[in-house]
Amino acid sequence: MNIAAADWQALWLTLRLAGLTTLLLFIIGVPLAWQLSQWQSRWRHGVEVLITLPLVLPPTVLGFYLLLLFSPNYAPGQWLSQLFGGPLVFSFGGLVFASVIYSLPFMVQPLLAAFSANGQRLTQAAAALGIPPWAALLKVLLPASRAAIVSACALTFAHTLGEFGVVLMIGGAIPGETQVVSIALYQHVEAMEYGAAHRLALMLMGITTVMLLLARWLGHILAPRGANKEGIKPVMGVMG
Amino acid sequence: MDITFPLFGTTTATSDSCGLSVEGLETSLNTANPWQLSLPATGVFGLTGPSGSGKSTLLAALAGLRRCRGDITFANTVWQRGRRALATHKRALSLGFQDSRLFAGQSVADNLALARNYSRRPLPAEECEQLLRAFGIAPLLHQPIELLSGGEAQRVALLRQLFHNASLQLFDEPLSAVDRAQVLRCLLPTLRDFWARYPALVIWTSHDFDEIQLLAQRCLWMESAGLSAPLSLGEVARRLDTNTVGDSCRSRIEARVESLQDGLLSLDLGGVFIYADRVTGHYSKGDTAAFLLEAGDISLSVEKPGLSSILNCLPVALIEKQNLTDGRIRLRLIAAEQVFYADISRLSCERLQLREDTTYFAQFKAGSLAGL
Repeated sequence: MNIAAADWQALWLTLRLAGLTTLLLFIIGVPLAWQLSQWQSRWRHGVEVLITLPLVLPPTVLGFYLLLLFSPNYAPGQWLSQLFGGPLVFSFGGLVFASVIYSLPFMVQPLLAAFSANGQRLTQAAAALGIPPWAALLKVLLPASRAAIVSACALTFAHTLGEFGVVLMIGGAIPGETQVVSIALYQHVEAMEYGAAHRLALMLMGITTVMLLLARWLGHILAPRGANKEGIKPVMGVMG
Repeated sequence: MDITFPLFGTTTATSDSCGLSVEGLETSLNTANPWQLSLPATGVFGLTGPSGSGKSTLLAALAGLRRCRGDITFANTVWQRGRRALATHKRALSLGFQDSRLFAGQSVADNLALARNYSRRPLPAEECEQLLRAFGIAPLLHQPIELLSGGEAQRVALLRQLFHNASLQLFDEPLSAVDRAQVLRCLLPTLRDFWARYPALVIWTSHDFDEIQLLAQRCLWMESAGLSAPLSLGEVARRLDTNTVGDSCRSRIEARVESLQDGLLSLDLGGVFIYADRVTGHYSKGDTAAFLLEAGDISLSVEKPGLSSILNCLPVALIEKQNLTDGRIRLRLIAAEQVFYADISRLSCERLQLREDTTYFAQFKAGSLAGL
């Protein structure tokens, strides 16, 4: 296949964005899902809805409000540019920030489902053997939820790869900075370069297919063989 | 005036006993009937009673895993005062659940190591090795816990709790799915030995009275969310009614150890020697050993039998005959002030013309003494 340098650049940017987003979301998502699963308050439902919102909201809605949030004309935007050393709008940092919010439910929901299903039983058993809560999360709950973690990371990565609306709203299409594959593809179509569009589209399809197959295979390996009595099942296919 | 309030979760000297003290403990199950309990710092206590009477709830409340109010003090440490409770992992206890709750995604060895790593008084390595062998877990060490059968999972869970070696050990039907023969032959003697070497306060919940008879001297009774003080085993047996009805009946007998040679344990029962083989526990001369005798394993003769491969022959007095619903006769016998039961057929009873208050000879094989 004959792919232009600019398209390779877009592809590399997209993979970087998806990788970084998945990593950050894993670090944020695990404690968040764990706290939520332990929380026995009616506010839990409110917070869960808030986290699920990016799943159902049109990406443009999210992008619009993120654009306002990043705007240097208002206090939050000014504070954020100070924090990140430059304006977030039309920058790679801004894309990562937006992706973390946009893909949050894809990380948190599978983890929350896994932690809620058997988490209570296992953390109780851990506490009843003198294991403190944080150690119980790291040494009991995470190993028991391996399959769910793989599935959550795969969904997050794949979902960030295909991001379009939010990127368009806050990132634009600056090559090497904010031009991701889906945007490059859109531009090829606009310019009637169907050959290049095909190549990018097939590439994206290939990558996501391999990703999901890999995740299934890993989930299959990590999931306990035989009757799953104690383990926590992954929730692949619930979303996405 | 010098008034000091005992600090929460810290050691105080205000409590008289250094064991477990429970005052006015209320859960949603027993609001009208708060639990009181006072147990010494070490010793094995049974806990039994009808299903759904609140046994598991009591254990969960003691462990701080169930909302409750009242006072709990253990080893002079306040665990609960009113509604304020010390977190479970800060209490010097371990609780085994009915459903094993092994840590998924890890091997048997990982599960055991984790419990030992968080122990306040870790067992020496050679002790762990010995327990692994006695429980038959050594060949399973590297298996993922998902591949274990129900009985294996229970044995691993029980062993995990022993590896943690807490000062207060709470068990909730820990052997319900394990093969009975293995329990009687091997696990219960091993447990009894273990707690003799590593004393702890143990509450052993079970519906199997044999387990309680072999492990404990006294037993708590829970019925309709009402908790009794520790009762004698005889009193619990009467409440359970197991020794008079049901098709299987095992009697608990105590005897003094005389010697252990070539795998044959000889016991002194009121001047008569009786023998047991396939012994798991460790005994030395002068120890008191308790064992169970199955009513169906005992035969009776009118005259003293001649030489036989059956090692045990005991002069017994027949106290009472009782007709069982399946047509057999249950005989209540006494030897050296210990009462036990023998089941024989109606035909045998008629042939031997058995009469009450007469002396006969009871015979049973060395292998029928269970739990030694």
